[in-house]
Amino acid sequence: MEYRLDRNVHSLLDPRTKLLLLLTSSIFVVGNAGEKQMYVFYWILVFLPVVLLFAEKEWKAGLIAIVIYIGSYYAQMALQHDLTAVESALALMLYIITKILPTVILARYIVKTTKVSEFLTAMNRLRFSDKFTIPISVIFRFFPTVVEESRAINDAMRMRGIEMGAKKASEAVEYRMIPLIASCSIIGEELSAAAMTRGLDVGKNRSCIWIIKFRIPDYLVITLCFACFVWWIIGRFFV
Amino acid sequence: MEKNNRLNAKDLINVGIYTAICAVLCTAVAMTGVIPIMMVLLVVFVPIINGIPYMMFLTKVKKFGMITIMNVLLGAFMWLTGMSYYALVVGTITGLVAEFIYRSGDYKSKKLGIITYAVSGIYLWANYFGIFFNADAYFATRQNFGQDYIDSVTKLLPMWMCPVLLVVDIVCCIIGGWIGAKALKKHFEKAGIA
Repeated sequence: MEYRLDRNVHSLLDPRTKLLLLLTSSIFVVGNAGEKQMYVFYWILVFLPVVLLFAEKEWKAGLIAIVIYIGSYYAQMALQHDLTAVESALALMLYIITKILPTVILARYIVKTTKVSEFLTAMNRLRFSDKFTIPISVIFRFFPTVVEESRAINDAMRMRGIEMGAKKASEAVEYRMIPLIASCSIIGEELSAAAMTRGLDVGKNRSCIWIIKFRIPDYLVITLCFACFVWWIIGRFFV
Repeated sequence: MEKNNRLNAKDLINVGIYTAICAVLCTAVAMTGVIPIMMVLLVVFVPIINGIPYMMFLTKVKKFGMITIMNVLLGAFMWLTGMSYYALVVGTITGLVAEFIYRSGDYKSKKLGIITYAVSGIYLWANYFGIFFNADAYFATRQNFGQDYIDSVTKLLPMWMCPVLLVVDIVCCIIGGWIGAKALKKHFEKAGIA
């Protein structure tokens, strides 16, 4: 049987575009640069991750995100008047959620849809050194692992009656940190072995089986990002 | 055997892993920064909590460049998560300095390890630069936190707190490093991981 590899099965955007989008989003949505003047771009950047989720057929996550957006929007509307202490704490929580959520969705989208080899190749084309791209790709792979491990360890410790906020806080921290680091360091050994079999150490240029190039969606998103920056600079220095 | 001084994949993966652990812990602690007093105390808690993974990381460091890369990545992480880029600039410089300090002990000395941690941890202090030197711009992005929050943070952080925070940062790093070294000795050296 003939085996045909579809070299275009990866996601809509090029890894480089995704990173540019993440940078833009973290400056203009989380960092809130430009404020009022960036209003239109702000909302585009907020909803673009959801569109991307739909484009990857992640219907459930996208719908949840939209529901949260709408809910928090109306809640913020309702909390416009003079606030009591509890209400202002609530508003603060909402604010943080609406600020960070789009970028979190975007980051999750990037991690889910980018293969490590794709990422490494794309970064290599941008002339980034391996010394930075390998740790970065490991970090991306590792975030979920660390959270997962710590959750499991937390459960195990609770079962033994070692709780946060117990009498011995230092013990509670120690009994969580040490297993976490131990298991992470073992996972690290395995990763290194895996990397060796993939020939990361050979020192020659690596080839990549995926075709990595900019396509029409990439150009659209890149134009959007540059438009954001240009519009921001115009507002900042020329008006 | 000839000692190979080029960083290989294994070293870089170690850098990645420990950066990830430090970043996750840092984020977990920094979430409490919405309470004004915690905002200031971050400089106490983060170094202490991060001490153990950092000291563990140092046991893996045998070549030049690893500490610097880690600091650059942590600084970039701070920048991406909405702190200012000061952490990246300061982190890069202190990372280099820390690298030289640790190298002078031939990548073995525990005491120098603690000092290394203290020096490289200065990037945490750099996160506060925004509040000290550029307060208006800093709080402009945080208007919705409420005026109460802004007032209490500014009240807690007058200008003279800037050097104080540096000292606190370094001291806490030393404490954290010491705790880390102790934990390493207690748990990992016996198990043969470190």
